[in-house]
Amino acid sequence: MTSKMQYTGSEQLQERFGRAVGRRLSAGTAELPYHITERLRAARTQAVAKRRVEPTAPAVVASGGGKLAFGGFGLWRQIASALPLVVLAGGLVLIHSIQNERRATEVAEVDAQLLTDDLPPEAYADPGFVQFLKSGH
Amino acid sequence: MATEQELSEFLRSVEKRAFKRSVYHVRDEEAALDIVQDSMMKLAEHYGDKPPGELPMLFQRILSNCTLDWFRRQKTRNALFSNMSDFEGAGDDGDFDLLETFASEQGSQQAESAEDTTRRAQVLRQIEDQIQELPARQREAFLMRYWEDMDVAETAAAMGCSEGSVKTHCSRAVAALSKALKAKGIQL
Repeated sequence: MTSKMQYTGSEQLQERFGRAVGRRLSAGTAELPYHITERLRAARTQAVAKRRVEPTAPAVVASGGGKLAFGGFGLWRQIASALPLVVLAGGLVLIHSIQNERRATEVAEVDAQLLTDDLPPEAYADPGFVQFLKSGH
Repeated sequence: MATEQELSEFLRSVEKRAFKRSVYHVRDEEAALDIVQDSMMKLAEHYGDKPPGELPMLFQRILSNCTLDWFRRQKTRNALFSNMSDFEGAGDDGDFDLLETFASEQGSQQAESAEDTTRRAQVLRQIEDQIQELPARQREAFLMRYWEDMDVAETAAAMGCSEGSVKTHCSRAVAALSKALKAKGIQL
């Protein structure tokens, strides 16, 4: 800060004159027309309201930062989230194939038992079986 | 960080002077209102989180830039040549004997308050007219130093020039104003 003590004579006069003009101008601002002061008040209110939005900005930035932090792992995140579905689908296919195989094995066992068993005597009383024998098969 | 209340109070304290300063530069009330509004919005939007002590300097800088932007937006040659060229203007050096004359008249200054409202309004208008006649850089330096109450260093920072340039601009402005006002018989 420049103190008045450092001023030379002409600088002091200059300072005094400048301040006197400044005081006149300040007095003039007190008499501004109503429509001007209203416009200024509205502009001020609007500006302050704009600032009010500011506190939410860091939150937005923070969430954006979070996205950025995860941005590098986006592909891995997608793969990781799809993995359970892939495992589930694979499991279902595996279970289906195991069950098919087991059912085929059971049917094969039944067929083998039927084919290898002795013919029961009552089979000869069956008209159908008799007819089968007559036909020569 | 300036609170909402502090920001509002600061804007309230500077808005009228900012408007008048803009009027002196652009000579158009509507344009001056737009410039002040734009400056307020920019301050609140970009620097609303700054400490209250930093707001005056930031606002002065923004106001100056907005005023320059307004001139740049003016596409007519008239606006460009009559106003923008003023920013490069360099007048004659001040005659400080006029200031001495002013100093000798200080004793009669106290009687000024007795003048009626009309007379004061007329004097104010004549002072404003003379301020408008100053080259833009001189006017800017003068108003920041003696109306916005900024010191030489602050004015230099706000205007983006050296302290020596501020002193030169101010002394030339004072010399030109004192000469012009004396010629009109106005005593401050």
